[in-house]
Amino acid sequence: MLVLLGDPSVFFSRLLSAGPKVSTFCALWKLSETMFLYLLIMGVSAFTIPPAEHMVISENCQFRGKHFKTDFKVEGEPVVLRCPQVRYWLGASASPHVNLMWRKNDSMRVVSGKEETRIWVQDGALWILPAMQGDSGTYICTVRNTSYCDEMSIELRVFGKTEVSLPVISYPQILTFSTSGSLVCPELSEFTRNKTDMKIQWYKDSVLLDPDNEKFLSVRGTTRLLIHNVSVEDAGYYSCVMMFAHQGMSYNITRNIKLRINKKEEETIPVIISPHQTILTSLGSRLTIPCKVFLGAGSHSTTMLWWMANNTNIDSAYQDGRVSEGQRLDYSENNENYIEVSLIFDPVIREDLTMDFKCVVRNTLSFQMLHTTVKEVATFSWGIVLAPLSLVFLLLGGMWIHRQYKLRTGKAYGLTALKTSHQDFQSYPSKIKEIK
Amino acid sequence: MAVPRRQRCHRMGICRCPPSHLISLLLFLFASETACRPSGKRPFKMQAFRIWDINQKTFYLRNNQLVAGYLQGPNTNLEEEIDVVPVEPHTMFLGIHGRKLCLACVNVGNEIRLQLEEVNITDLSRTREEDKRFTFIRSENGPTTSFESAACPGWFLCTELEADQPVSLTNTPKEAIKVTKFYFQQN
Repeated sequence: MLVLLGDPSVFFSRLLSAGPKVSTFCALWKLSETMFLYLLIMGVSAFTIPPAEHMVISENCQFRGKHFKTDFKVEGEPVVLRCPQVRYWLGASASPHVNLMWRKNDSMRVVSGKEETRIWVQDGALWILPAMQGDSGTYICTVRNTSYCDEMSIELRVFGKTEVSLPVISYPQILTFSTSGSLVCPELSEFTRNKTDMKIQWYKDSVLLDPDNEKFLSVRGTTRLLIHNVSVEDAGYYSCVMMFAHQGMSYNITRNIKLRINKKEEETIPVIISPHQTILTSLGSRLTIPCKVFLGAGSHSTTMLWWMANNTNIDSAYQDGRVSEGQRLDYSENNENYIEVSLIFDPVIREDLTMDFKCVVRNTLSFQMLHTTVKEVATFSWGIVLAPLSLVFLLLGGMWIHRQYKLRTGKAYGLTALKTSHQDFQSYPSKIKEIK
Repeated sequence: MAVPRRQRCHRMGICRCPPSHLISLLLFLFASETACRPSGKRPFKMQAFRIWDINQKTFYLRNNQLVAGYLQGPNTNLEEEIDVVPVEPHTMFLGIHGRKLCLACVNVGNEIRLQLEEVNITDLSRTREEDKRFTFIRSENGPTTSFESAACPGWFLCTELEADQPVSLTNTPKEAIKVTKFYFQQN
């Protein structure tokens, strides 16, 4: 951080060229005095005053915000921070006319380009080797040329080498059950550039994976670990370690991966289980016909279900929306998958009775459809109410007529009895009773 | 006497106004709602899928550009899922989940380009010719999936080998410099 405020040779020559007017003694005295002052200033500036030309001039420099990714790293390892603007709008290779500067948020001092220190700038990237937990914080990259200046910040968090930090520093990766696939040791490009003999060691749950293992194959010269026939037990934490040498020292670069195993969706032949072939309805009412499809273990996502009216899609056939398709329902009952889409009439009109409605289901395995027609059920009319009523009336009437008839025959008998046995008047009621 | 009456009238006017306005507002809302109701809903449910390439790079947005890279711990919240609306069993519209952005293949000055367009995936039409640029043909090969643009035949969705680079389209899917194989699974 030692910086000369001016060129010393110029300084001395100026002093010596002060002219013959000044005596030699005086000149020497002045020289020693100035030298003292000079050294004093130099010493002080080296310890306290930040060098003026390395101060960041933030005026007229647009702050573009914080980079959306936070870097989570492990202590003792190399860390490289790329200037976010370079990725955003400067393109992969920054122009040589652009000046990149780095500083930490809590310090105004710009990081120098000297590799002797632990933190330096190289090709516009900030290097920290080895990183310490105290390096955590916000770093600001300033991009400047003669007419332009902008800044972006990036967050760095350095963690201790403990298992507690694993969920934060890990990269989730996913493979599919009972297939083969690769894990990739991520974000090594800063260290693998111009390298042909890349050697990565892979660990699962801190146990080194045997390179001769048939299950795991660390693909030579790449950052990939091929896993054959992935099983559920393969899930868990993996780490990949690469060696990195710098100025006679070697460092580990570790990346942690959390592997999850997914099951691939199945596809089955769908079965339309409803509606019936005829739906009874009454004109003028609202009608909903659900089309329900059984998928079993099959996936909802690849199955399409829709309605048609006389080979036309519903939305084109009924642009007024009188007949429409309801929301699609994807659901499971007892671990079996179903889909349902309803056809909604609001209301049913006479022309619907002659229409051929089809529920169509299609996936990559099968195409099926089910026809259905709407039939009018006898709507409510007085006839419906009157029919049983008239029957009751008829029955009651019949009974009444029958009774009247019987009554009349009884009376006639009584009269005859009256006529025939006129002496016994008392017998009449008993006779009537007998008839009853 | 005239002044208070006018005042009363005025006050009455104030009192009467809100209900009548409210009713007309309600009527208007009802009318507009019924008018805006889509005639015939799409029979396909929009579904969200996770996408990552065979090199385990996930998708996220940077400056409104879709890029593929590695996300660590809390950064995984940045991952973008893909909304799918099937057109046919093997063709579909692709959008960014929860955002009004859809993937499209466009030809700008004889250059085929992947573009994120500000359109709602549910507003796309299966039959409209100009919406064809949003259609992708999905082909499966074992556990992986590739997406070919229906409007730009021979052009496949791809990522770069290097991380944090834009997702784009390539017409040389067999070449090792691009990744066209993706894992595409429902959550």
